[in-house]
Amino acid sequence: MANVVIDPVTRIEGHLRVEVKVDNGVVTDAWASGGLYRGLETVLQGRAPADAFYVAQRICGVCPISHGHAATMAAEGALKIKIPNNARIIRNIIEGAEMLHSHVLWFYTLTALDYVDVVSALKANIADTYALAEKAGTSTADFGAIQSRIKGFVENGQLSIFTNNWFGHSAYKLPPELNLIAVAHYLEALSIQAEAAQIIAIMGGKFPHFMTSLPGGTAWYPTEEKLDGVLFHFNRVKEFVEKAMIPDTLAIAPFYLDATTYGKGVGNYLAWGVFEDKSMDPKKRYLPPGVISGSLTVADADPKKIKEYVEHSWYTQSETGLNPAQGKTHMAFTDYNLDKQYSWVKAPRYDEKPMEVGPLSRMLVAYLSGNEKVKAIIDGTLAKLGAAGKPEILMSLLGRVAARNLEALYVVGLMGDWIGELIAAVKEGDSSFFVESSETEGDGAGLWEAPRGALGHWMSVKGGKIANYQVVTPSTWDMSSRDAKGVRGPLEEALVGAPIADPEKPLEALRIVHSFDP
Amino acid sequence: MAQDARGEVYDLLAARGVSRRDFLKYCGSVAALLGLSEMYAPQIAAAVESGAKLKPVLWIAQGLCTGCTESMAQSRTPDVPTVVLDILSVNYWETVMASAGSDALKAITETVDKGGYILIVEGSIMNGANGNTLRVGGRPGREDVKEAAKNADAIIAVGSCAVDGGWVKAAPNPAGATGVSEYLASVGISKPIINLPTCPVNPEWIVAMIVDVLLVGKLPALDSKGRPTLIYGSTIHDNCPRRGHFENGEFVEKFGTVEEKKQFCLYKVGCKGPQTYTNCPYVRWNDRVSWCVESGSPCIGCGNFNWVDNDAPFLTRTSNVKLPGIGGVAPSTVGAVLGGAAAVALGVHAVVSGTQGRVGKGGPPETEKAYDRKKAAKGGDK
Repeated sequence: MANVVIDPVTRIEGHLRVEVKVDNGVVTDAWASGGLYRGLETVLQGRAPADAFYVAQRICGVCPISHGHAATMAAEGALKIKIPNNARIIRNIIEGAEMLHSHVLWFYTLTALDYVDVVSALKANIADTYALAEKAGTSTADFGAIQSRIKGFVENGQLSIFTNNWFGHSAYKLPPELNLIAVAHYLEALSIQAEAAQIIAIMGGKFPHFMTSLPGGTAWYPTEEKLDGVLFHFNRVKEFVEKAMIPDTLAIAPFYLDATTYGKGVGNYLAWGVFEDKSMDPKKRYLPPGVISGSLTVADADPKKIKEYVEHSWYTQSETGLNPAQGKTHMAFTDYNLDKQYSWVKAPRYDEKPMEVGPLSRMLVAYLSGNEKVKAIIDGTLAKLGAAGKPEILMSLLGRVAARNLEALYVVGLMGDWIGELIAAVKEGDSSFFVESSETEGDGAGLWEAPRGALGHWMSVKGGKIANYQVVTPSTWDMSSRDAKGVRGPLEEALVGAPIADPEKPLEALRIVHSFDP
Repeated sequence: MAQDARGEVYDLLAARGVSRRDFLKYCGSVAALLGLSEMYAPQIAAAVESGAKLKPVLWIAQGLCTGCTESMAQSRTPDVPTVVLDILSVNYWETVMASAGSDALKAITETVDKGGYILIVEGSIMNGANGNTLRVGGRPGREDVKEAAKNADAIIAVGSCAVDGGWVKAAPNPAGATGVSEYLASVGISKPIINLPTCPVNPEWIVAMIVDVLLVGKLPALDSKGRPTLIYGSTIHDNCPRRGHFENGEFVEKFGTVEEKKQFCLYKVGCKGPQTYTNCPYVRWNDRVSWCVESGSPCIGCGNFNWVDNDAPFLTRTSNVKLPGIGGVAPSTVGAVLGGAAAVALGVHAVVSGTQGRVGKGGPPETEKAYDRKKAAKGGDK
């Protein structure tokens, strides 16, 4: 039969096409095609190093903080700047707020509808719904009113964002009452992600696209009033993550345990690490850098081992196999041809291997590096799901989903600490927030993490201007096209082996795509 | 007769758990946004509720970062569920819609065939490689905009990318980006377009425009560039809370200084407020918690046309506003900073940055503002 195509993949950032070959109800081959080329790296050539902070963050409207920070770190590397401690804490808080914003938005707004059948929620018994919420330890809402709201909406016949939905598909497994709880939190999550973004708006002017993490430190000064605002919004987000998102995850997971048996992908994991500690040593980041490849051990991550291939993407074919520090990006569109070129996404490889990046990679690296808090969170969750001592089951579709939510729980704990740390530093009279540099030459790299995975910005500065700029985004790693040897990228590999009950509505494939948070 | 339709809508809203009070509160905030008295709230409510049918919307994504959708998701009054469930029927919106693939695309065709919808476009139109720098559904993405523009009641270009190509079009415009107006004109579709520049768009402006279309049934007053005059009628500088420091000659000369901490004027570290026309200082961002200048950063002029080329380098003064003090402010306060030599140096710097320091053609330094000229003629601030 003809390949099953999802184009456009919806509920993602940007444009993606996924094509899978299905034999006897199982995916046997897959292709991921990035649909958009804008040329940011070319636009930045010749501009002022500090301008990269403002422009490069506009790669991604969901993760502008991470791109902004990576661009600023690249400039600081090139111009040999060491930022003040206050700036470090402030950036951690802003970065953490973005991660919480992103993870909440991803779980409820972007992927929940792959598991939660909104129409089924109409059949829920309201008393049973409250009983179930209590049993699951998840927060309640006015379930009756929400059910009426959905009912009125469905009966009106104008389905708005639910037009042409796939509800009723045999792969939806939740009972009506759990669907109703999830719908209630789906609606509430839209407010919570906005609360998290308000933390960024206070400290960065607005979200998306923030203003304050300039190369040299920060342009934001904490005042009592502003810190109070940060704390207020943070507490709302913390409560939701702890009392709705985590219990919901644990309540929903048992209905989809088959998702631990597929969706693993390449089984190689890369993290650059994120959230600096006081030493500014990348190895001591709250989520540390590392590489896992084939076994349950962590090796150091070395950016020199990256090469980007373009044999299957629409770029000048001779400019392949380059390290990003010397990388080139010149578009050369041919045609959509699965045997030749089929994507705007390059194929980065680490030590010649495709690497999965994202919360699962970060949490596995932290877990295997012996991070006590991460170990406690993961081991506790595995025990609750009846898989104590088996972290390898996280290497699956369900594991990738769970890892993101568990990471949110870890970050909630860190955020509280950082806010306290900042208040203490200011009280002790540390008034340094910004340092200047007079350097005009140098090379720098911002190796960091976006919520969706490892992110690298490389900048060369000559004569005070950007001479070369390269970015390898998390989606470049995860949505990678095949490489020179024809080896599939992480998403492509994760799709192979997935069951497809209805080729007209490949819901299971959509779940796998969304699990990477493209 | 309107009463019947209204009753029907009230029932509908009530069934959805939206109280009459909540709804009027929301309409009141929209009235304020439109520059109307809250007394207009009932009229706005009546307009929104003018039939039992929700106004269909197609939100089409082009060469974007999804930041304008994200920004829309930050709207709190009304919140997103109210917008997508109770006010509008958003039949196509890639980032939030349940459907996927060809089933999703079908919603565009079905809505276009019925007509009577609002088209919102986010992101640059991508023309490079014959339109293949953006591919959606196996063809150039711009085709969706062309198709959806045909029968639209109103077209809103949200964010700088949709307005004129935004940063994607910045020199050397590697992927062939342009704005919606220019693209539609090039394919022979001539329709008025509401342009809402800034990067990203402010969600309150989108809500205001949608309500305007529903309320008066026609486009709001637009300037020659398609921008609603209510939103883009005055500069950030004119309404800036730090304007007093500008008048007093109190500037941040460098980051990390005591002047920065005192929240002095950011003009000399590159603020583009004097040449940027938006109402950011009072509509603010993220449910009004803050905005760029309040956070400590100079405005980077993201609401300007071709903003990345015209406003960069962002931390360098590129406009040429008449500085206060020249006309006779007490020398003891500003003389040291703005004495003859310093003023000349600033002038030279502006010329240099206009010719050497920029990528692309760059914009001319802004000429002296009429307001400042008049004031200087009168002898400045006395």
